[in-house]
Amino acid sequence: MTGRNATQSRRRFLALSGTTATAAIAGCSGILSGGDGGDGGSDGGTGAGTGQLSLSDFRGSGPLVAQRDAPGGTSIEELPDLSGELTLYLGGGEGGLYLDLIELFEQLYPDFSANHRLEASSDLANTIIEENEAGASPADVFMSIDAGSLGAVANAGATASLPEEALSTVPDAYQDSEGRWVGIAGRARAIPYNTNQISESDIPSTVQEFPETAALENSMGWAPSYGAFQSFVTAMRLIRGDDETMSWLQAMQDHGISTYADEFRVSNACADGELTAGFANHYYTLRVQSARESSPIGLAFTEGDAGALVNVSGLEIIDGTDNADLAANFVRHVLSAEAQEFFATRTFAYPMIPGVAPVGDLPRIDDLNPPDINLSELADVAGTVDLLRDAGVL
Amino acid sequence: MGTKDRYERLREQATTSERDSSPHTLLAVVSLAISLLLLAPLVWVFLRAGEIEFGRAVELLTSDTTVSVTLNTLALVTGVTVASILIGVPLAILTAQTDLPFKRFWTITSALPLVVPSYIGAFAFVSAFGPRGVLADLLSPLGIEQIPTIYGLHGAILVLTLFTYPYVFLTTRASLLSFDGTVVEAARTLNHTRWEAFRRVTLPQIAPGIAAGALLVALYTLSDFGTPAIMQYDVFTRMIYNEFGARRLDYASVLSMLLLVMALGILAVESRLSAGRDGAYVSSGSRRPGLIRLGYWKAPALLFCGAIASLCLVLPVGILLQWLLRSGTGYSGGGFTFDAAYAWNSVGLAAAAAAICVVAALPIAYLSARGSSGFSSLPERATYVGYAVPGVVLGLALVYLGLRYVPFLYQSVILLVFAYVIRFLPQAVGTTESSILQVDPSYIEAARSLGYHPLSAFRKVVLPLVAPGIAAGAALVFLTTMKELPATLMLRPTGFETFVTYIWLVQGAGYYGQAAVPALVLVGLSGLSMLVILRREDTS
Repeated sequence: MTGRNATQSRRRFLALSGTTATAAIAGCSGILSGGDGGDGGSDGGTGAGTGQLSLSDFRGSGPLVAQRDAPGGTSIEELPDLSGELTLYLGGGEGGLYLDLIELFEQLYPDFSANHRLEASSDLANTIIEENEAGASPADVFMSIDAGSLGAVANAGATASLPEEALSTVPDAYQDSEGRWVGIAGRARAIPYNTNQISESDIPSTVQEFPETAALENSMGWAPSYGAFQSFVTAMRLIRGDDETMSWLQAMQDHGISTYADEFRVSNACADGELTAGFANHYYTLRVQSARESSPIGLAFTEGDAGALVNVSGLEIIDGTDNADLAANFVRHVLSAEAQEFFATRTFAYPMIPGVAPVGDLPRIDDLNPPDINLSELADVAGTVDLLRDAGVL
Repeated sequence: MGTKDRYERLREQATTSERDSSPHTLLAVVSLAISLLLLAPLVWVFLRAGEIEFGRAVELLTSDTTVSVTLNTLALVTGVTVASILIGVPLAILTAQTDLPFKRFWTITSALPLVVPSYIGAFAFVSAFGPRGVLADLLSPLGIEQIPTIYGLHGAILVLTLFTYPYVFLTTRASLLSFDGTVVEAARTLNHTRWEAFRRVTLPQIAPGIAAGALLVALYTLSDFGTPAIMQYDVFTRMIYNEFGARRLDYASVLSMLLLVMALGILAVESRLSAGRDGAYVSSGSRRPGLIRLGYWKAPALLFCGAIASLCLVLPVGILLQWLLRSGTGYSGGGFTFDAAYAWNSVGLAAAAAAICVVAALPIAYLSARGSSGFSSLPERATYVGYAVPGVVLGLALVYLGLRYVPFLYQSVILLVFAYVIRFLPQAVGTTESSILQVDPSYIEAARSLGYHPLSAFRKVVLPLVAPGIAAGAALVFLTTMKELPATLMLRPTGFETFVTYIWLVQGAGYYGQAAVPALVLVGLSGLSMLVILRREDTS
């Protein structure tokens, strides 16, 4: 794929993304909107099959993506070329989607290749810490799907500094206060629900009210062994303390709740009518909607509490890397307009730079009402696992 | 009791002539060195546990959670072992000693579930019998809204039994095929009923074979992570994994130590049960008993074989095919493109592990089979400890030790294969040892009296005779290595994916369709190695 047309395709891409950037700067949003559909005249080349890249290669397709404005922010065209080999530890699960982005970079830059290791984020964090304690980690960059594991690696002193150009584009709430890691995509806690069984207005606006909601008795699901759920409980401990969190966990169990292996299954169970509602990250519902268009699944958000936590996928550069410059440039690429558009439209995540909007009719990240906590503190998973176990949940 | 006498006689001959001879001392040194090398990584568990304060250790060991997880684990191991015997032994008798129609076919289908990774089996069962699963969909038009949950202890026992009972089936069948059938006929002429003859003559003879299979089942159950996790049943492996995830290595190591103690307990029980086990393996030549005529029992027997094969083989393959067909939009996973290199990686790793296991197993098995003292089976017993260690614990130990003491081997194929050898060597030792026991030691005597050096006598006389057993051991190691997940995840070189790491990742991301083809190919490839194991019977 990176073969003979690489140079040509890069030139082609640059021309196009140049147009994109110009359009964005000029405020003429709409010129390039829906780049994957319509008459195809603006982005051309999509059907040629020659590996040419355009915005639509970064952008997903489907009903949720239609009629989008062109992304704003720093275009890839304005960044130095990626060149060299990068060893990337990549948090597993839907982190696999990120491989598509890395493949796009590899297509765009023939001199660039990423050697990646895919496992669960918490496992990789532990591996990096273990490697760091023993001397050095083979990893150059850790790309994780939650801030907790990023924080754990940072707290273990295993990170190197990030480029200021990257940090300055992301709101403070979604990066480490000491600049040791930076968010690349937002993941909001949400309540998927079955629209045939309950209406949005009947869903409580705080998680604290769930155990007292009769309509949800014996009809909810969660995935307590799933990292994102544990981050949510960690957030509740930070906000309300261990005792109240324990009472809530017990009340939810008394209320009747089913356990699932992960939150994609929870969300599917809501669409199936097996559950009335559940606890899950927001994008699983969008994935279900995208795959099964007429399925009766809706998405609600709580406000101001742990249930409204916005966690991030993020990046950090690993201490001792021989590829510091390449790693820094890679981070800037992941925060480019095109890559952020990728996260928004392909993974349904919240983009981290202000120039790119979330997909479909998701509320803007500023309209969500997340709790005021330091995401690095989500690293205290151990206490949460204890609590979940004492509560009989795990 | 003819077999026993004959065996004792042979053993007498063998030991009197070979005792204290230098080859045995050398053999003992080599075997001991191999077992020490294999057990060394487990020292890490004790090192880490040793860092804990005594008070904290006691608190951890006696906490409610630890106690309840211990009981859970014991219940699961007991349940799976007993159920495996209840399925494996009747199947072995039916296929070895009766006039069951299509015996060859049922022999293969009874052994084949071993090629299905238990975590894939578990997913298949959840898909089929879970809430909103295939069964629930079939029953709901009939007005049945609720089916009993598959999750929990009974689900975990069901799934683990269905995919591990072949160990009992294979070892029991091997004993049945090799023991002296004329004894049963003698008992029958003494007016014993068929049942009495079975209980008083056959059962004692095949008990060591059953025990050997049961040991493998019990240790596998103890170390399995995927199935209890999917069936939502709390056992040691799941807790150790969670503790590791929470970066509390002290508790993880305490739990690992407890798990090792349980493995030693199982080994002790097994060695008591099979005190006379050597006798069971001795070949009795071709004196097979007359076939038991099933008569009216033919139909129920066929039904039993058919039911087991349907649950173990038809169901998982059917679910995988369903995943494949259902994989429409939204299921086509981004980034996860299957690369043919993953298949070669899997096959290469499994072949390397099988080859090394075979070479390492030979001295250990030979010493255990022919050694004169109780000490001689110590290396053989020691290798079983590695088999009981969960891949997660072994992976952790090798990550830690590799990084500190052999950093150039960290994330290398060599360290990964080493992990496989630690885990799967006993399978090769077991089959090799039973073949060696079937070789009349007087052959070696004859060769040596013709002036051959002991080693060349072994190479020229014993090796050709035990080759089928060695091949079976290699095949068993090959297919278990192909299925191994946790150690592979933790120790593989970066960028080096295999069948199972790929399947694990795509199913973890919810892209079942992507997992179906590699899972089917994995099962098919492993099935080929199973044929090697069964072919061995043709030659024996």
